[in-house]
Amino acid sequence: MIQLHNVTLAYQQDASALNNINLKIGKGEFVFLTGPSGAGKTSLLRLLYGALTPNRGQVLIDGQNITRMAPSQISLLRRSIGVVFQDFKLLQNRTVFENVAITLEVLGWGRADIGKKTMHILKQMGIESKYNLVTQRLSGGEQQRVALARALVNDPKILLADEPTGNLDDANKNQILTIFKEANIRGTTVVVATHDRRLIEQSHKRLVTLIKGEVVEQVEKETAGDDKIL
Amino acid sequence: MNKWKKKQPATIKSFKRPTLSGDGFGGRAGFFLFRALTNIRQNVFVNVVTIGTITLALLIVSLFLLVFVNLENAAENWSERVQVTVYFDKELAPQDRSILREKITALSGVSRVSYVTRDEALKRFKSRLRGQDTLLEGVRAEVLPTSFEISLKRSHRETASVENFVTDLKRIPGITEVQYGEEWVRRFNSFLNFMRLLGALLGGFLVIAVIFIVSNTIKLTIYSRRDELEVMSLVGATSFFIKAPFLLEGLIQGIVGSSLSIVLLFGLYEAFLHNAGGFITFNPVTSGLNFLPLEYVGGILFAGALLGFIGSLTSLKRFISA
Repeated sequence: MIQLHNVTLAYQQDASALNNINLKIGKGEFVFLTGPSGAGKTSLLRLLYGALTPNRGQVLIDGQNITRMAPSQISLLRRSIGVVFQDFKLLQNRTVFENVAITLEVLGWGRADIGKKTMHILKQMGIESKYNLVTQRLSGGEQQRVALARALVNDPKILLADEPTGNLDDANKNQILTIFKEANIRGTTVVVATHDRRLIEQSHKRLVTLIKGEVVEQVEKETAGDDKIL
Repeated sequence: MNKWKKKQPATIKSFKRPTLSGDGFGGRAGFFLFRALTNIRQNVFVNVVTIGTITLALLIVSLFLLVFVNLENAAENWSERVQVTVYFDKELAPQDRSILREKITALSGVSRVSYVTRDEALKRFKSRLRGQDTLLEGVRAEVLPTSFEISLKRSHRETASVENFVTDLKRIPGITEVQYGEEWVRRFNSFLNFMRLLGALLGGFLVIAVIFIVSNTIKLTIYSRRDELEVMSLVGATSFFIKAPFLLEGLIQGIVGSSLSIVLLFGLYEAFLHNAGGFITFNPVTSGLNFLPLEYVGGILFAGALLGFIGSLTSLKRFISA
């Protein structure tokens, strides 16, 4: 599903954000990317949805090298990738419904179908009663669920999350983690960048650790206490 | 359809292929217009700022145009005085008169030719010296010359054209004495050229300032909504899909702004300038200013629409490419 071959990314000539990264993430996998601040987690995620192009190496999504894609192809690729952020990136002056419906509008859906599908996903996220509120009136946890609804409403093949629980309390963190797991069970490949150790430990999923732009450790965790260093 | 169905997990209610907004009447154009109008409703403040800026900017340009057009009209009226007179020291026989009239009319640039008899000349002389009858004692029609008064077309009232015309006129046999107030024509045309140059310079600076102010206002309003551009891009919107509602919004802002500027200009005109004959007289017929001709009104509306559209386009280019 996702393959990175010898990927190097430098923002400036002398400082590389990612250094010779090789990584494979299979279809339907759930992977945590972790590491200290500045390790390259966000850069790696941005490479995966085509917001950055590496200086060297290949990024393959579903067998397609996205480093060579035209901007219009990147747009099409993003329709099968959902992305969520620590700061939610919601449109503050629009309602919950409008924030989620935007994904389907881009796909060209008709209004009636957008209404049905959007309300369906809002129900799954447990925020259907708030559909007509502007997002700035919601709590942090609710805002993140709106962001997740927007990312998942078209059932993406891949879900990328950059510190999705960074601004949330423990109860909300658990809810968000449950939503990730449910999406993963439905077949979506999930990649979560986080340095929240508790979140990683209670998930028992594959862990990729980055330090200074390099992959230093990969741990396969299927069940608790059954670690396998790759 | 298959792709959609295949992706559905067992736990989610299955959806059939959705109707696309491009399927129905109006398709995407209708959607973009709807989106643009919704954006205006949801971003009232920035839209009011943009429309207000366009309105005021175009109102200034319109006011300038109103004054300039009226000055041009006034110059047009004054240039009617550019007249060439051919004098004869005898009364011409009707036959000679018509032959000469034909020859003069055949020259290019002539708009009207009229013959002034000695009696007509005396009548004019008397009317000019009304109240000073003693000066007219002993003046008889026979001592006055007869003449042809020639008015020129607008395109032939420039100094050089008048001089060329007089040269051609003098080539006609029987014509010797010609007067056309060389000094006045020269000064008048110099004044006109100066006025036009000044108008073009002022107008040019004004238009540049308006473009600068409006495009920067639009840039700031789009900058304030850069999150929207980012989110649209994240969910896979193409560049055209992101831009189209913003461009329509810019077009609507431009049309509304320019329409408001015309309405305000008309209000100002009706309130202050319409019968301003007391202190300003440009047009001897109406005494006061005329309102802008329809083609200028159309031009301002079009300029407003263009300003909104191009302003949005250039601003979007910067943010989307970034």
